[in-house]
Amino acid sequence: MRVPVLILRTDGTNCDVETAYAFELAGAEPHLVHVNQLRRREVRLTDYRLLVIPGGFTYGDDIAAGKILAVELTSFLREEIGEFLAKGGLVLGICNGFQVLVRTGLLPFGRLGEVQAVLMPNAKGRFECRWVRLRVEKSPSLFTRGMEGQVVEWQAAHGEGCFYTNAEQLKTIEEQGLVAFRYVDAEGRPTQEYPDNPNGSLNAIAGLSDPTGRILGVMPHPERFVLPTQHPNWRRKKIPPAGFFIFQNAVRAAGG
Amino acid sequence: MALQEVRVTILPHLRDPSGEGVLHEIRQSLGITSVEKVRTVKVYRFEGIGEEEARFLAERLLCEPVFQHYTLNRPIITDASRIVEVAYRPGVMNPEAASLMKAARDLGVKGLLAADSSVEYAFYGALRSEELELIIKRLLVNETIQHVLETPPRTLLLGSEPGRTQVIPIRQMSDEELLALSADRLFLNLEEMRLIQQYFREKGRDPTDAEVELLAQTWSEHCAHKTFKAKIIVNGQEKLPFLTRLRQATERVGREDLVLSAFVDNAGVMAFYEGWAICGKVETHNAPSAIEPYGGAATGSGGVFRDVMGTGQGAKVIASTDMFCFAPPDTPPEEVPPGCLHPQYLLRRVVAGVRDYGNRMGVPTNNGSVHFHPDFRAKPTVIVGAYGLLPAARAAKGRPLPGDAILVVGGRTGRDGIHGATFSSAAMTDRTLHVHSQAVQIGHPIEEKRMADALLAARDEGLIRAITDCGAGGFASAVGEMGAETGARLYLDRVPLKYSGLAPWEILLSESQERMVVAVDPAKVERFIELCRFYNVEATVIGEFTSDRRFQVFYGEERVVDIEMDFLHRGLPQRVLSCQWTPPERKEESPPPVELGEDLLCRILGHLNVCSKEPIVRMYDHGVQGTNALPPYGGIRGDAPNDAVLLTPLLGKPYAVVISHGLNPVLNRLDPYWGALWAATEAVANAVAVGADPRELCLIDNFIWPVPEGEFLAWLDRAVDACVDFSLKMGLPFISGKDSLSSTYRSGELVIHIPPVVCISAFGRLPDVGRTVSSDFKGEGNLLVLVGARREEEMGGSVYYELRGIESANLPRVDLELLPSVMNKVHRAIAGGVVLSAHDISEGGLFTAVAEMAFGGGLGAEIVVPEGSRPDFFLFNETAGCFVLELKPGASPEELFAGVPFLVLGRTLGRPVIKARWGDKLLFSVNLDVLRAAYQAPLKEVFG
Repeated sequence: MRVPVLILRTDGTNCDVETAYAFELAGAEPHLVHVNQLRRREVRLTDYRLLVIPGGFTYGDDIAAGKILAVELTSFLREEIGEFLAKGGLVLGICNGFQVLVRTGLLPFGRLGEVQAVLMPNAKGRFECRWVRLRVEKSPSLFTRGMEGQVVEWQAAHGEGCFYTNAEQLKTIEEQGLVAFRYVDAEGRPTQEYPDNPNGSLNAIAGLSDPTGRILGVMPHPERFVLPTQHPNWRRKKIPPAGFFIFQNAVRAAGG
Repeated sequence: MALQEVRVTILPHLRDPSGEGVLHEIRQSLGITSVEKVRTVKVYRFEGIGEEEARFLAERLLCEPVFQHYTLNRPIITDASRIVEVAYRPGVMNPEAASLMKAARDLGVKGLLAADSSVEYAFYGALRSEELELIIKRLLVNETIQHVLETPPRTLLLGSEPGRTQVIPIRQMSDEELLALSADRLFLNLEEMRLIQQYFREKGRDPTDAEVELLAQTWSEHCAHKTFKAKIIVNGQEKLPFLTRLRQATERVGREDLVLSAFVDNAGVMAFYEGWAICGKVETHNAPSAIEPYGGAATGSGGVFRDVMGTGQGAKVIASTDMFCFAPPDTPPEEVPPGCLHPQYLLRRVVAGVRDYGNRMGVPTNNGSVHFHPDFRAKPTVIVGAYGLLPAARAAKGRPLPGDAILVVGGRTGRDGIHGATFSSAAMTDRTLHVHSQAVQIGHPIEEKRMADALLAARDEGLIRAITDCGAGGFASAVGEMGAETGARLYLDRVPLKYSGLAPWEILLSESQERMVVAVDPAKVERFIELCRFYNVEATVIGEFTSDRRFQVFYGEERVVDIEMDFLHRGLPQRVLSCQWTPPERKEESPPPVELGEDLLCRILGHLNVCSKEPIVRMYDHGVQGTNALPPYGGIRGDAPNDAVLLTPLLGKPYAVVISHGLNPVLNRLDPYWGALWAATEAVANAVAVGADPRELCLIDNFIWPVPEGEFLAWLDRAVDACVDFSLKMGLPFISGKDSLSSTYRSGELVIHIPPVVCISAFGRLPDVGRTVSSDFKGEGNLLVLVGARREEEMGGSVYYELRGIESANLPRVDLELLPSVMNKVHRAIAGGVVLSAHDISEGGLFTAVAEMAFGGGLGAEIVVPEGSRPDFFLFNETAGCFVLELKPGASPEELFAGVPFLVLGRTLGRPVIKARWGDKLLFSVNLDVLRAAYQAPLKEVFG
């Protein structure tokens, strides 16, 4: 049986279709579910093993990116999310989805309702779309299994991706090894330099895992590189689609 | 109960990117150095709740203590020299307000009646009051939608008694009175005003304001295309109307295999693969963008997206394009005419508007261009396009049946955008900014996104009979056009409003954004509304289509419009326009050659019409939807421009959509025939350069012209003829188009004719994206070939001549006889897999094409200029329809290009230099990094 995947959408979600496609390609059965269906209990999160919050501008990113959806999840679906996680459910947030996860408190420490870190406006103060290099870090994440140490190229496309937290939290994040991805330069070294680090993220952090490895959030877009022709320079060299492993690992971890 | 105010700001020890952005502009755009630091504060106001609830909202919703802090009902920054709060004007929709209400509800806060947000700017440093005034006026506040909040509002609740319908005593009016009624409001001429007068005299009653407005709107140049439908007399000789010529060309070209819908729908539709179709529409939004560039450009994108969404029974928007013309960003402020905004401000704000709408809608913005010419200082040209994907079975334009319900879907109706259609048909004057602020619309892309989601679901359930965008002219236009063959009855009091106080005519004419009008079978109305509600979209029945061929509009019991559809749509007599055409004198010139050194080459690449537009492109999301198979900028550093975009909209399938365009305002001024031909050739050449089949394309025309009087009409005639000739020779159909004929600025004695623009867009299909190429050099030692016909001495209008101050009418004349075979040969070579990279020649000439290819590959090139050629002409000629190709080792240019003009140019080099030789003479050898720096400098300066 193919693993059912809940891809959450609401007003302003816009990377849902290609994210669903990536899961289809990985052998899962993606369902596009509107947050209204969860609120009305027409669909139960607990019937799924994998919750995905794709990219977009949910509710216009009003107040702060992902904030309104984060409030919606923590106020209406708090118990259901708790139950889902307790049963071993996995959560993936990409771009706006990462912003939502941080603003629900699910990342970095898996504590619903406690915002411990933020994604601030980019240091350049504006939205940018460019391909970046990411090093897959050693972390508890089930989504990055087998890829630790590799450098991959994905597309970043966001205006509020500058990871920030206070010194104390940052120390804990690093000590617990929760950094799943870092922006790196051409030599593969983590960097604070623009444009390799496109937004000025602290410690070049591009993605985070929770301590259980079951929740992942990342700013750049793995779903935009699951087909060879999605890379800007596929005509120059054959590059295997470097975003695909996330979806394969997700499906595997969800029991597919 | 008093309003509760929450102020939130980034912690003082952290950077504030918005504040830094403002500071950058203060220093760079205004040259003010007294400001040392700018910090920003978000101010939230709530009505109907107490302090306790406000504190709760601050802590749970508005402030994240990791990097922010807040205050309640008191200032948060106390050490700044000056603090200015900028808010939307009352009545202007703040998109954030609805989110604040929703989140508060979700958090269980009860009693909240209204919410609003604004921004405080705190300035540090010894700035003078006049400097602050300048900062406010030029950077912070757009007076048409925003204001500086001097005292906090007492209430956020807007509303007043609805306005009344007034009767206009038109039957008794003298000609002077008719013209006075028309001025600044209706923009109709005396003849048209008299027709209206006559109609109501025959009816034996005076019209309502709504009826007069409805007629003015329907008869506006913007909606009725009076010039394009007029009989044209050139030098005493009668010619067919422009529109007829273009449509006849499409008919003669045939291509029923390709064209599914031409000129009849909101967008033109062509066949794609496996039962799918693609559609395209390109629009201008010059007038709104001239007075409020951010909102004008954003709503331009929003409007053209809705055109695509309203094609057939609804299409998914898959691409956004943008083509702009501005005055140079370094134009001295004193050269900007009264009532006009500075081009640097316009450029930045227009880009931001297109960016925010497309990115938020999740539509990739992939193709575009920016052109500069000083004469755009009075009004920019802002062209926005959109492309869509829809099932071929749902591609035909829907027609409402009598009895079908009329629904409005999406946003609510407010006072925004009143008179947009009539205003955009008027010339710009120094009063425009003042009189027409109501014509400004505010975009809300998220509203449009959820509406798009709902409409696609409704389409797939077969719930839509007919659909159209509620754009220029509002309901008057949308319902008036949909019901032209049936009749329609509309009940304005049922229309959901943003606030009370609108007069019936305002509801009828409002151009509030993010609304669509849909005809739905009465049996399906309930399901349609339910589906919309599911997506948080409002859908309301506001009337029905009838069979009486009348347009009747009611407000409660009152009938405010009763006009025969026939008079509305056919009451306007065909215009007869005449003009004289004298061909420009074309002289052969031969200015003395100059040294082709590094300095000249850098000036060519650093010319505004040549230089890199990458800083703009990076702000657009071009990867969303996962469909991009050729990015706007590629190559090893991502800094080399590609000629067109390729999208694979059916993920996992090899089928590609190609989108490209061409325009060159400089050439149109010299000779609009050759200028228009250049634009059309450039559009198709751009598509062919990436691998498109030149027989599998459709074309879209846009004419942006000075008010077509006298010679400007003759110019337009020439430009249309060029498009027709191109269409017939290339065998390519035009399937959509738009004209905007008001690019004239008047202020007292000062008249500025904004340069005429012909923008031709091309879109088409390719069966296999694998057989396409990018522009970046792929390897060392490969043969470079120039393919295409050109006369090297035709240098008129070139960047090279401009830099040398040479004015010449000897502009490039594309050889239409050779062009089809050149295009076909290039296409076949690419499809045959022997072309490693390709780039077409345009502004900056062959040298620029080679340099851009070299940037992408990180490789160099050696070019050999033939001994019989003049090196400067050879390198900088800008004839469209010529290509530089890098061939695979072993490929034979003689075999590939037999029968068309071609020339072996030289080879790619492993070293990053560009060299040119002429006989024994080394003309130059310049390092790629030097060239790249020059190429990237101009817009880096503007955008930082």
